[in-house]
Amino acid sequence: MSNTAFGILKSGYVARDTFVHRLDGRTKFLFFLWISLFNYAFYDLYVTISSLVIVLSLAFVARIQKFVLTVLAIIVLPILLLALGIMAGPFGFAPNKTVLASVQVFGFTVAFYVEGAVYVAVWTSRLAVTITAALLAYLTTHPSDLAAVMLKSRLPYKFAYAFLATIQLIPILTNEISTIYQAQVSRGLNVKAKLIDRFKSIIVLMIPLTLGAINQTQIRAIALESRGFSAPVKKVMLRDPKLEASDYAVMTIIGIMTCVFIYLIWTRGLVPFMVGIQYVRPGG
Amino acid sequence: MTTDTRSTGPTTVEKPAGFTILQIVLIPVIAALNYVTGVIINILKLPLFMDTWATMFGTVVAGFWVGAAGGFLYNIMMAFTLWGLPQWVWGFINIYIAIITWVLWRIGWVTVKSPAKLVAAGIIVGATNVVPTTLISWGVFGLMPTYAGTAWIYAIVLASTGNAWTATVISSIIAEIPDKLISLVLAAVVASRMPARFTLRTPKA
Repeated sequence: MSNTAFGILKSGYVARDTFVHRLDGRTKFLFFLWISLFNYAFYDLYVTISSLVIVLSLAFVARIQKFVLTVLAIIVLPILLLALGIMAGPFGFAPNKTVLASVQVFGFTVAFYVEGAVYVAVWTSRLAVTITAALLAYLTTHPSDLAAVMLKSRLPYKFAYAFLATIQLIPILTNEISTIYQAQVSRGLNVKAKLIDRFKSIIVLMIPLTLGAINQTQIRAIALESRGFSAPVKKVMLRDPKLEASDYAVMTIIGIMTCVFIYLIWTRGLVPFMVGIQYVRPGG
Repeated sequence: MTTDTRSTGPTTVEKPAGFTILQIVLIPVIAALNYVTGVIINILKLPLFMDTWATMFGTVVAGFWVGAAGGFLYNIMMAFTLWGLPQWVWGFINIYIAIITWVLWRIGWVTVKSPAKLVAAGIIVGATNVVPTTLISWGVFGLMPTYAGTAWIYAIVLASTGNAWTATVISSIIAEIPDKLISLVLAAVVASRMPARFTLRTPKA
C-alpha cells in the first residue's frame, strides 16, 4: 500500500456538506452491505459495471472522488492488470476457449481469451464496488456518529471503543514510526541496504514503537477508568443520530432494487444480461 | 435525619465483566500495530505482508483473546475502509494465527531462548496457514493472483497444470512460510524485550 493510501486512513472523515454526508451512518452502512452482497451474487459484467458507476457517482456527489480513485488505482488496478495478463492470457486458465485478440511475439502467437478477461473483469469490478462503497460510508461519517451508530446497533460498547480507538491510534503510531525512523536513520539505519540488513531494520523500528504503544496503554486505561469505562451503568452517547426522510427514501430504493435483483436471479439466473458468456465458478 | 446513600453514593465496580480494562485498551494497539507495520514494510521495501505479527505478539504478551480480537479488529477495520467488505473474512486468518501461536507458545516453542523451535514454529504457522488463505482467496478473489511477488509462480504453475487451485496453493506456500516465520520471530524478539510489568498473559502451565 502506498503512502497516499495511508494518508487517506490517517485523514479519516472528510468534512463536506453534501447529500451523502447528511445521510445517517446506518443508511450508508446498509447500502455498503447491500451493494457488496449483490455484487458477489451476480456473475455479470453489466451488473457490476453499473454498480461501479453508481458508487463512483455517489463518490463524486460526496466530493471524495480523489480519495476513492486513488485507492482504486493503488489496490484494484494492479490486481486487474496482473490477473488479466495471467488468466486471460496463454497460461492455461481452464475456461478459456474464445480468442479475443492475439499478438505475435518473437514468431509465437500469444492469444488472449474472452472467458478469462470477463472473469477477471467481474471479480475486480466486485472488489472496486465494495471498496468504493466502504470508503463512501467511512469517509463521510463523523467518528462520533460512527460510535453512536455502533451503540444503537446494539454492539457492545467495548467493541465500539476498540474500533474507534484503532482509527485514532493509526495516525498516532504512524507519526511515531516516522519519528523513530528519522532517529534510526540519524544513527546509521540504511533503508537501501541488502535484503537481510533491511529485515534486521524491522526490529530496531518495531521495538521502540511497540514498547511506546504498550506504555501508553497504561495511561489510556487510567484515563478510561477515571471516566467510568468499566462502571456497570448505562452508557450515554455524545451524539444521537436520527433517521431523516432522505434515509427512508434511500432505504426504499434499496428495498425495491432488492426485489428486482431477486426477480432477476429467479428468472434469469446469476448471468442475467451477458450473452454468450457462461457462469464460471471461482477458480474456473 | 437520614440519607439514602444508595441513590447518591459513588458508582463502584465490583467485578468488571469480560476483559479487564488493560486488555481492552491493548486490543486497538494490536490492530494499529498490524496496520503500521505495513508502513514500515513500505519504507523498507520488503517483499512481505507482516500484517499478522502484532496478532502473534498480542497472543504471547496478553493471551489468546487479546491477540485474536486485535487481529480480527484490524481486518474488520481494513474491510470497512480500504479493502472492501468481503475481505473481513481475512479476520479468520488472524484468529487462526492467534490459536496456533497460543498453542505453540504454551508448549514453549515461541521463545528466543530456543531458536530452532522458534523457526520450526514459524514454518508450522506459515505452512498450515495456506489452507485458510486459499479458501479465502477462492471466495473473495476467485483464485486470481493478487500479489505481484508470487504472480510469476502462479503463472508457471497455472501454465503447467491448468489448475487455478494448485497455482494458488503453491504461490501461497511460497509467500506464507517466509512471511509467518519472520512475523513470529519478530513477535518473539519484541516480546522478549518487554518489561515484565507490561505483560498481561497468564503464566504457562
